[in-house]
Amino acid sequence: MNAMSPTPSKKYDLDFARWVYDNVDGGDRMALCMQCGTCSGSCPIGTQMDHGPRKLFMMIRAGMKEAVLTSNTIWNCVSCYNCVVRCPRQVPVTYILHDLATVAVREGYAQATESDNARFGKAFWWSAAKYGRTDERLVTAKYYFSFGFGEGYKKGMANLPIALGMIKTKRMHLGMPHKCKNTGELSKLLKKAAEMEAKKHG
Amino acid sequence: MSERKTGVYLCGGCGIGEALDMAALEGVAKTEYKLEPKAHACLCGDEGVAMIKADVDGGVNQVVVAACSSRVMTDRFAFEPAAQVIRADLREKVIWTHPANDEDTQMLAEDYVRMALSHAPKVTLPEPWIDGEYSQRIMVLGGGVTGLTAALEAAGVGHDVLLVERSDRLGGHALEASRRLPHTPPYDKPEDNGIQALVETVQGNARITVKMGATVTRTAGMPGKFAVTFADGSIEDVGAIVVATGWRPYDPAKLGHLGYGASPDVVTNVDLEKMLARNEVARKSDGKPVKSVAFVQCAGSRDPDHLPYCSSVCCATSLKQALEILTVDPKANVFVIYEEMRTPGVAEELYRSAQKAGVIFIKGKVKSVGSDLTVTVADELVQEDVPLAGLDMVVLATGMVPNSTNPDQESSEKGAEQLLGDVDPEAPIKVAGYAGDAPADYARRDQCTPDGGSLLNLQYRQGPHLPVLHDGFADSHYICFPYETRRSGIYTCGPVRRPMDWAEAAEDAAGAVMKAVQAVRGAAAGAALHPRVGDLSFPKINLNQCTKCRRCTVECPFGAIDEDEKEYPIVNPTRCRRCGTCMGACPVRTISFDNYSVEMLTTQIKAVKIPDEFSGKPRLLIIACENDAIPALDMAGIKRNQFSAHVRVLPVRCLGSVSLLCVSDALSVGYDGVMLMGCKPGDDYQCHFVKGSAMAAERMSKVGETLKSMMLEPERVVQVEASIADSDRLPTVINDFVDQITAIGFNPFKGF
Amino acid sequence: MTKTMSYYPGCSSQASAVHLDTSLRAAMGKLGVELKDIEDWNCCGASVGHIEGGHMGMFALNGRNLAAAQAQGGENLVTPCAACYLNTHYHNEKIREDARIKADVNECLAEIGKSYDGGLHVRHACEVIVNDIGVDKVKEAVTKPLTGLKVAGWVGCQTVRPFAKTERGGMYDTYDDPQFLDDFITACGATAVEFKGKTKCCGGSVSVMSPDKTLHLMKDILDEAKAAGAEVITTPCPLCQTNLEMYQPEINKKFGTDFNIPVVFYSQLMAVAFGLDAQKDAGLHQHLIPAEQVVTRAK
Repeated sequence: MNAMSPTPSKKYDLDFARWVYDNVDGGDRMALCMQCGTCSGSCPIGTQMDHGPRKLFMMIRAGMKEAVLTSNTIWNCVSCYNCVVRCPRQVPVTYILHDLATVAVREGYAQATESDNARFGKAFWWSAAKYGRTDERLVTAKYYFSFGFGEGYKKGMANLPIALGMIKTKRMHLGMPHKCKNTGELSKLLKKAAEMEAKKHG
Repeated sequence: MSERKTGVYLCGGCGIGEALDMAALEGVAKTEYKLEPKAHACLCGDEGVAMIKADVDGGVNQVVVAACSSRVMTDRFAFEPAAQVIRADLREKVIWTHPANDEDTQMLAEDYVRMALSHAPKVTLPEPWIDGEYSQRIMVLGGGVTGLTAALEAAGVGHDVLLVERSDRLGGHALEASRRLPHTPPYDKPEDNGIQALVETVQGNARITVKMGATVTRTAGMPGKFAVTFADGSIEDVGAIVVATGWRPYDPAKLGHLGYGASPDVVTNVDLEKMLARNEVARKSDGKPVKSVAFVQCAGSRDPDHLPYCSSVCCATSLKQALEILTVDPKANVFVIYEEMRTPGVAEELYRSAQKAGVIFIKGKVKSVGSDLTVTVADELVQEDVPLAGLDMVVLATGMVPNSTNPDQESSEKGAEQLLGDVDPEAPIKVAGYAGDAPADYARRDQCTPDGGSLLNLQYRQGPHLPVLHDGFADSHYICFPYETRRSGIYTCGPVRRPMDWAEAAEDAAGAVMKAVQAVRGAAAGAALHPRVGDLSFPKINLNQCTKCRRCTVECPFGAIDEDEKEYPIVNPTRCRRCGTCMGACPVRTISFDNYSVEMLTTQIKAVKIPDEFSGKPRLLIIACENDAIPALDMAGIKRNQFSAHVRVLPVRCLGSVSLLCVSDALSVGYDGVMLMGCKPGDDYQCHFVKGSAMAAERMSKVGETLKSMMLEPERVVQVEASIADSDRLPTVINDFVDQITAIGFNPFKGF
Repeated sequence: MTKTMSYYPGCSSQASAVHLDTSLRAAMGKLGVELKDIEDWNCCGASVGHIEGGHMGMFALNGRNLAAAQAQGGENLVTPCAACYLNTHYHNEKIREDARIKADVNECLAEIGKSYDGGLHVRHACEVIVNDIGVDKVKEAVTKPLTGLKVAGWVGCQTVRPFAKTERGGMYDTYDDPQFLDDFITACGATAVEFKGKTKCCGGSVSVMSPDKTLHLMKDILDEAKAAGAEVITTPCPLCQTNLEMYQPEINKKFGTDFNIPVVFYSQLMAVAFGLDAQKDAGLHQHLIPAEQVVTRAK
């Protein structure tokens, strides 16, 4: 695997595209994109994206690494997989967007690390890794408070009616989080996974 | 010819017997034409055919069949040459398009029987024009892929071939080319060139004579009898000519805006092809290897200021060249800057291969190319001007200019004029291939007409050149009759008629050769070529009446009629396609065929019984072209589309054969209106005789004067376009015309 | 005869979609399938786990579940959750098809003394009902048909996308116009309305984190259901159910609408139609928007 990290560029530069082809899940098929736009046209939330997948792919080819990894396109994806099943060239668009999101966070782009998704993803992974399960209460709370205490409190209060409703209908429990029995085993496993991941990216 | 003996046969099958009063039809033949008709319930069945056959054996030499359309059952009613066959259509044009057991339908059927029987005595069985020896040899002009393939194809079906090449070696562009575009499954990678093997196969073929370094200085004669003179003074007799002169690259000197000339490392795709062939891809400036290269697509193509058309192979060629570069150096940076990638058919597979190999495709237009090879692209998707720097080479993917002229020779004034095309030289040329935001129409045809002298120096009244139409390509109807050139016996194939790749050109060569074979064989038999294949009639001119007006020689779409030294018309019969445009043009009706003449047409027109104005029944004449209008009307019948029974349809070979006298005769005998129904004329013609319907339109534009002198409304005569697909539209067109004429009122000449 | 299948309930089965879990187990019991939980299962990573966990993190989570399922025997792993299905299916296929990935995953699993060979088939519960049980059997099991109940069958995204194809080859339905949910509704004796929102997206996890971006998507679905005359919307997806139900007040506030349409799971419809207890077995008391219609129509 190519350990070279893409170099930022505002001119056409094949390096970033090649890096994406080699390192992003489904990137190899991205080379087959023929810019037909079926993906952007199929996207339920495409109007809220700054670029949409089609243009984003073009930007990758143009070597516009920074613009790609700071784009909201990779964050607004709702993971509906419409683009994946409709792409005439079988480019796994959703997977590529997901992976670019991971790259953006790993590379520390502020637009990425401070995005709702990155905050949420962080809270989510915290729960999954710590308990082996997603505790919706804790993930939500952690996510809300990632914006700071004031903002978190505000968000929490806004969603209080929903939370109360969920508690009343016994879809949100009070008390200790649900968790795997063998959380020790799980953290050992994830630690190894993180090591392997880190090794992959040099 | 022995004494005429006419047999009349009425068919009652397919519902004709149930829908019409057959006894009354028989009565028409008996009382009006003194002929004894025979009726049968199924004339095309074995019994019916046997009945006619027995009569033919017994001396009947003219058979009038009143049954279905003359376009069907031709194999059943095939009694020629023993007996000539005349058909009257009671099925498609009567019972299938009009109500059964109806007074007007019956009158229609009786009129069609009258039309057939009235002109039968004037029709004679044509005798072919055969005169001396005919050459069966086929000349192929051009020794590239197309010409080599054509030579082999012609030899393969048993014809001797004269292969003419202007340079001193065979192979054309392919000789200096690297690998070729894929032509075998899975069509995803460049394939072996193979040109040497092709050249050797041709050289080893005993039927093929190769003449190299040869320029044609003069081509005289006609199919079966062409005499071709060469610059070295030799003269060769050939029966047909296949023009495979190919293409030349667009002059890159005109592409300064794309950086040509800015640096020696801005090259054309043709230059790169040669480098690849020699395995010497390097910078011209310093000989260094090429690690980073950009292809600029549509360099001078689809550009109103240069070539307005798409050359169709440059995209695939760039993909091929990109793959070849990446094969040598997989780490090379290869960019393709395109407006639209055009990879028709299987070329899509090559596109995918190039994508997989890592070629980067940039959709946009090149704004500038600097001397340091920085290409600035107005990237359409990124919507910014993006510089592409660090390139070692820029390749301009230039298009194909057709060799419809010989670039080695200067263009003569007369030739240039002729090359403007004689269909509609004023029509602007649309720039093809845009859904929206298309560039302005290409205003001047001569801008895209290639420089150079004539290829064959044709000794035709119409001039020395092969006619060209769109964008300087040799004229041929892309879809309906691709190899025809308007010069009988001369066929084009390969990139001289439209841009194409090797595989297409090879197929094209085979197609054109089949036409050439048909030409030499048809000529020897005195038979017509496309579209009246096999017709043995030919125009006969009674010079005693000829006024030397030259309209026949000027209007013949195929240059079949020359003028002799006394300025009389002289027919080259094997050039003639038998459309009758000369017959329609002749103001003194002195041109006729054995089985087709102005007199035969007017006899049919006059045979129709015109009811008086008190009957409330108008009569309208539809003079309809046999090529598209008649089949479309037949199809209307097959679909049971109904239209007015007040019209009488007169089939003609082409609207070009319609004399104005036919129209004025119709009006003078009391028809209330005349409609000419034929193919689309003009630049994008569908006329099977190229300009027959255009000539008809030209003549009809002058009919107003005639009508005025007859005190008639000009709306009574119209020309409408019909295509083969108009079976649903034509009934409405006909009914509207009937309504329009009814509104104007009856023809005051009725009853005179 | 009861058949036992390994079962991966997913995290939502213990929280927001506890009523999916309850009703599915009950309905499957009636259909002759016993769902046996995989030992000490963990989260699949859903559609956000990759951000923090990366490729290997996701493979580790899913690999652990698959290894546990394989260890307990059988060749199938059934899950009722759209995201669990997608993730487990996807990672399973990758492990099976890519030798390098298989090696990596097993290197990781070896750390906890486990292994997985890619041999399992990951199935969605709906696909099992369609292909293994058969809609006819559903029909046969109905004792209290939901006659006259107008239901909009809302499949959502990930139940059929991108894996409407089964792991045994072939498709269990189509990506854009799946029929199985309408078939379930009809089998339960209810009426499946002509619903254009069938595979429209609710916004998924983006709706959870940033509902402002996606409320209009859910409004769209509700509009379609209303236009189709649906009394109830049914879905197989836990997140779809929660999102569409809990955001109706906010949608009403933002767009000035008055939606109050119950959103239930197909398995709840089945449980009721099979004559099971509406609360204990179907969990119909666990809705923010009550769905009494389902119970009152069952006769």
